[in-house]
Amino acid sequence: MSRRPAPQVAAVAAEPLTLGARQRRPLTLRRVGSAAVPYLLVAPVVIAIAAVLGYPLYKLVTLSFQRYGLPELIQRKGEWVGLDNFRSVLGDEVFWDTLVRTIVFTAVNVALTMVLGLLLALLLVRLSTPVRVLLTTGLVLAWSMPVVVAVQVWIWMTNFQNGILNYTLTTLGVGDYFQHDWYATTFSKLAMVTLLIVWGALPFVVLSLYAGLSQVPRELLEAASIDGASSWRVFRDVTYPVLKPILYILTSLSIIWDFGVFTQAYLLIGASQVNVDNYLMGVYVFIEGYGHSDFGRGAAISVLWLLIVALLSVFYVRKMVRMEETA
Amino acid sequence: MRARIIGGLALVAAALAAIAATASGGAAATNSITVWLQVDAQAANWEPIVKAANAAFQREHPGVAVNVQYQTWGNHLQKFDATLAGGNAPDVIEMGNTEMTKYMAAGAFQDITSDRGSFANSSTWLDGLAAAGRYGGKLYGVPYYAGSRVVTYRTDLFKKANIKVPTSLAEFTAAARKLGRQQGDRAFSPVYIAGTDWYFAMSFVYDNGGTIARQISGKWKGTLASPKAIAGLTAYRNFFLAASRASKTTDETKPNPYDVYAQGNAGSMVGPGWFSCCVGDKYKPLTAQFVMPSRIKGQPMPGFLGGSLLAVPIGANKSLGADWIKAYTSNQSMTSLRSIGNIPNTTSLLGNSVFERAARKSWFVPTAKNWVNVENGNILRNMLAQILTGKLSVRQAAQSASDNISSVLNAS
Repeated sequence: MSRRPAPQVAAVAAEPLTLGARQRRPLTLRRVGSAAVPYLLVAPVVIAIAAVLGYPLYKLVTLSFQRYGLPELIQRKGEWVGLDNFRSVLGDEVFWDTLVRTIVFTAVNVALTMVLGLLLALLLVRLSTPVRVLLTTGLVLAWSMPVVVAVQVWIWMTNFQNGILNYTLTTLGVGDYFQHDWYATTFSKLAMVTLLIVWGALPFVVLSLYAGLSQVPRELLEAASIDGASSWRVFRDVTYPVLKPILYILTSLSIIWDFGVFTQAYLLIGASQVNVDNYLMGVYVFIEGYGHSDFGRGAAISVLWLLIVALLSVFYVRKMVRMEETA
Repeated sequence: MRARIIGGLALVAAALAAIAATASGGAAATNSITVWLQVDAQAANWEPIVKAANAAFQREHPGVAVNVQYQTWGNHLQKFDATLAGGNAPDVIEMGNTEMTKYMAAGAFQDITSDRGSFANSSTWLDGLAAAGRYGGKLYGVPYYAGSRVVTYRTDLFKKANIKVPTSLAEFTAAARKLGRQQGDRAFSPVYIAGTDWYFAMSFVYDNGGTIARQISGKWKGTLASPKAIAGLTAYRNFFLAASRASKTTDETKPNPYDVYAQGNAGSMVGPGWFSCCVGDKYKPLTAQFVMPSRIKGQPMPGFLGGSLLAVPIGANKSLGADWIKAYTSNQSMTSLRSIGNIPNTTSLLGNSVFERAARKSWFVPTAKNWVNVENGNILRNMLAQILTGKLSVRQAAQSASDNISSVLNAS
């Protein structure tokens, strides 16, 4: 914040050097010009954001106040119904069930991602170079795999009849997994989605944290261990404070990502198996809006969802700003 | 993981883009028409029939090009919605019979009642198909062809176990048990049925005199919790548990039943007649079909009659669209369609093949405008999974599904 008025400060500082009213005008012009430059520079971005984000958002909000189903789509004219869509959504227990389910799902996914990610990053630091390169390569490969392809591979691996997972578990003598159904219950369906998401999210978290760990001063670590600190103590008092901002960003981003998950949940559970018992927010909006061709109601759910994500983001941005100030 | 948050929003944005794109009007140029057929009609033995219809159409309308675009069942409705919003819908569209009602109710098609007499065989159209093309006493869809469901079975295994083609459900169940004992393989299904194959499960409901839903003085009511429907669902559960080793929670595409059959893991399977296409070279000569028997000896079990209709969307060129439909549903065209194994749209051409016998006794989904929402909300599949896995009793699962169906069908 403190850096933005800099050009003006410079202009003001230059003023006392000039004498006489006649020389003031060009200076004022220059002052106006230099004040406008930053705005001109951000203008393209603002216009682009307004066009690609602002306009759809405006349409979304107006849509949420209209009855807009298939007949209206064909007539290309919605009917204003005020808060009817919101009333209907908020009065629908499916919405609340889905919201609670999505929050629990997000909490579990984020916790697993962050804990496993941190452990793997700490492991990465302690590994010998060849093993570290191997592990890093594996992580990058997992990260670069397109989601839809990954889902398909998971579907094959966990297939009821011919899946390699059932075969391997049975062959290794873990138990009788012949024709084990990994998608038998709502819990197991969502657990499979969780596994897939955590697997997909880990590379980014591990590599970011690993980069952060390289910022921990080695001499501090050495000094701490010479002073007789246990490894837990070293982690808590030396490593953790350095990692804190990165952990914070990653957790916040993961919450936002996992809250809005659609692709993995819809494809892994499958179009023929998603139902009110296993909806996550993304799937729910898709079925209500598109499956039922009730675009107005779908828009209302999206607006509510957007507000929830915005709340999460405000929290995150405030924390970030505060951290920057204290730094 | 990347675009996850935006995923949902992007969908909405896409919807908006579709809605916003209210560009140029729909009046198609008269020098060409666009026809949407499903990819099935792109098969090597099917496409010539389409071409012949195009030629017949062009003899009457010289200089009008026919632009046939092939669609897939999975996403043709979403594409159709977008074209309706954009005002550039095709001139003719093929619709599944279960998809028609919602679109007719929304006013997506042009009324072709006055042309009815000029379509070939319109007085002998198959009842099940013709019903799907009518709404509010008006005609919006012309029957195209139907597909019945039969049992495809391994003649060698039946012979080895000394089983004759069953004539009742009880006989079939006993035969399945015998086959299972004979094979003694845990992966082998005497009758492969995907647990949540609701088309097959509902046949048991109708066989017992039950229904899915009924319209009572303008309001829909789910009827799966009635004693007759519960008897049907119980019969389905018992038959499944005796005959199938398929997953209790999967659908009939993961895996495809004919893939299981081609691997040698099924003594028979239930599904559309064309399943016999894909059983593999090894079993092709050892494969035959019969009509699913009813609980009443000597009767067929009512089967789901799938099928397609042809309609002229709003904004399309009605006279050219209707004329193309006339050419494609002509007696000659129907005779050709029948010759490649489809059920023609008219009883006058119906023969005595196993598919055609199966088509004689059929049931159809409730003709409610919201029926599609019951399908894509997976209410019936969820109920079947609950029943087969034992999570809920038949009565509990049926009651909950039935209540759901009532509320979905009556939603505005």
